[in-house]
Amino acid sequence: MKKIDFHIHTVPSISDSAFTFSMDRMKEYVEKRELDGIAITNHNLFDLKQFGEIANAVAIRVFPGIEIDLEGGQLLLISDGTELQDFDAKCRSIKESITTAADSISISTFKSVFPDLSKYLLIPHYDKKPELPQSALESLKDFIIAGEVSSPKKFIYCLKDPKSLTPVYFSDSRIKTALSEFSPRQTYIDAGEVTFAAIRTCLRDKNKVSLSREDGHKIFDALGNGLRLSTGLNVILGERSTGKSFTLDQIYKTFSNVKYIKQFSLVERNAEADEKRFNELLSAGQSRFTQDYLKKFQAVVDDMAKVDVDKDERAVERYVDSLKKNAQEFEKADLFSKAQLFNESDFSEGGSGTIKALIGAVTALIENVEYREIIDRHVTIEALKKLAVELMLQYVAETAASLKKRFLNDLLGSIRKSLQVHTAAAPVEDIDLYLVAVGRKKSEKFRAVVKAVQSEREILRKDIQGFQIVAVRKPFSSAQALKSLSARKVKFRDAFAAYAEPYSFLTVLRTIGGLEEAEYFKFFTHIEYRILNKDGNDVSGGERSEFQLLNEIHDSQQFDMLLIDEPEASFDNLFLMNNVNELIRDISKLIPVVVVTHNNTVGASIKPDYVIHTRKSTSGGVVNYGLYTGHPSDKFLTGLDGSTIENLEVLLNCLEAGQAAYAERGKGYEILKDRR
Amino acid sequence: MKFLKIEDNKGFFAVDGKTWSPIDQINKEHLLQLLERALSDNFEMDNFEKEKLGNQAHQIIYKNIYEKFVELGKNKNRFKDESEAYYKEAIEKYSQ
Repeated sequence: MKKIDFHIHTVPSISDSAFTFSMDRMKEYVEKRELDGIAITNHNLFDLKQFGEIANAVAIRVFPGIEIDLEGGQLLLISDGTELQDFDAKCRSIKESITTAADSISISTFKSVFPDLSKYLLIPHYDKKPELPQSALESLKDFIIAGEVSSPKKFIYCLKDPKSLTPVYFSDSRIKTALSEFSPRQTYIDAGEVTFAAIRTCLRDKNKVSLSREDGHKIFDALGNGLRLSTGLNVILGERSTGKSFTLDQIYKTFSNVKYIKQFSLVERNAEADEKRFNELLSAGQSRFTQDYLKKFQAVVDDMAKVDVDKDERAVERYVDSLKKNAQEFEKADLFSKAQLFNESDFSEGGSGTIKALIGAVTALIENVEYREIIDRHVTIEALKKLAVELMLQYVAETAASLKKRFLNDLLGSIRKSLQVHTAAAPVEDIDLYLVAVGRKKSEKFRAVVKAVQSEREILRKDIQGFQIVAVRKPFSSAQALKSLSARKVKFRDAFAAYAEPYSFLTVLRTIGGLEEAEYFKFFTHIEYRILNKDGNDVSGGERSEFQLLNEIHDSQQFDMLLIDEPEASFDNLFLMNNVNELIRDISKLIPVVVVTHNNTVGASIKPDYVIHTRKSTSGGVVNYGLYTGHPSDKFLTGLDGSTIENLEVLLNCLEAGQAAYAERGKGYEILKDRR
Repeated sequence: MKFLKIEDNKGFFAVDGKTWSPIDQINKEHLLQLLERALSDNFEMDNFEKEKLGNQAHQIIYKNIYEKFVELGKNKNRFKDESEAYYKEAIEKYSQ
């Protein structure tokens, strides 16, 4: 097995913050992380001179490369190093095309700079931001041999997914003077030697890449100090103040997208404040349900926001008044106001909503595959096609008529205006009674929707980790309740006064400055969530914490790693044993999980895949923190320095308070059993 | 039922089809009520005939409103179809 890191930065570019390259740190990185091959891949540039210096300074194979901003994503291009001058010239051409951090070259420019892509290794950002877009992947698919990922979880996912590229996991490090920790992110390849051809062969075969030297994808390098972890479930055991939480913190800092449940973080301190916070979190957690549930209502409110019934009524009033005035002043009629067009009404243009919906429905019937048989039993496809054509022709005719009306209305408008200029007679204000009727009908229907969505009803009941989430919709009870929904400090007193009349309420909402139109719908109905325990009662403070722990563990699937620090400090053993352990095991099948504990319920019963033991020792007044790792069935755990300690001794000391206490407890239980 | 009629050289309207008022007494509220009626079935009115309306002011008002309702009548079916569909899915969803 050979260990490679083909994503290393040594020169700051416009895409990086400034740093100073250190050759000593480069050499140290190669040695400490036991690398067999590296590639230098700076952003959109290649430094030929520095590359030569690095290749001479380290004892392993170094390949020239470049990381290119391409089509909004990034791509590593690595050369075999045989035509360095030519490669340098091509990279200079790339550098000239990228003049700001936001620049990105097109596929065609890329191909024109590198016309023969078969000479290079092409590795795009794959499950890593910024990802190369699918269109670019497609365009380069004959030359791309592997895809870079950003975590062990994604590495394993790509290995298991037959459609994914071979994953590679690289450091993406800046080798700088100030580098304090070396990255643990590298890829092992099953090659005898580090040659361009051998690497190319390995990267084409998913069986030839792994996260660790001996244990394939089950173990990966987690820290620069050499600590390795299982891609499954890890337990860190150790006495107090031996560096357990410190190690967890280090892991948290090394990886991104990590869920970290810290010790005591879920324990309630102030019952009232915590309950309020819990309810807010609960609502936020269920926001997708709320959003989906109210989607249709939101569309109604959005549509209703375009209707202004009051404005329409004012227009009707103006029309009636102007008509009556015009009639009263008929004696003032002159040559201009007597013209037929002076008081001519506009044509009602109408809409095409109904016919469009009909065309859509008939098209759906024609194209539907799933229910073809049923449709065919009742109506032939020929008949449907004829119907669709006729409706489409009608639509075209109506659209043409509507366009003609619009043209004539414009014409009428301008003639009326010209006539009005020359006469003292009051013109009749025009109005489209059809649109007025539409607005009134919509307002009536809107009231029906709002009253329906406000009527109190349970709209969700689902089981989550032994608890039940219940959602109830109901009307808001106060202006304060409305206010709590808004992120801005605005007053809802006037709005709440109009709450019983939906259209009036919407009208008042419109007058509240700082309120976005897109959020009006939220203020009509209150969706309240409650958590019930297994007995169907509201949860207690302790149960709330339990629910939160289970929920946080469950939701950690979207992260790349889960870290939990001493759950036993906040929860009792029965709960951990019956509810938490199994959930943690399930999650560890999806992402690496690290649990710190010194409790036998968690430590032993959870059946970890890998054990890490932290031990503090003092030698000559100097305190040393040691890390020992191994599989639970191993007789010995091995330290990062190669020393070993007995696994059983660790388990007894850390989980059972030592062998003597363990034996004593055993005796105690035996006595109780005998007395039964 | 008839809502606009011509009698004795004058125009009349009745929002309920029974209580008749001179057309020059019409106001916004009356017109909105007539609008509701005009879009339902059974809305009738006397055709506008200039000769039958000696009162010039009535002639102007009656003609204008009559034409508005004739135009509206042409779109009665469209209005029925469209208004049936307004927020239908939402009402069904949230009434469950």
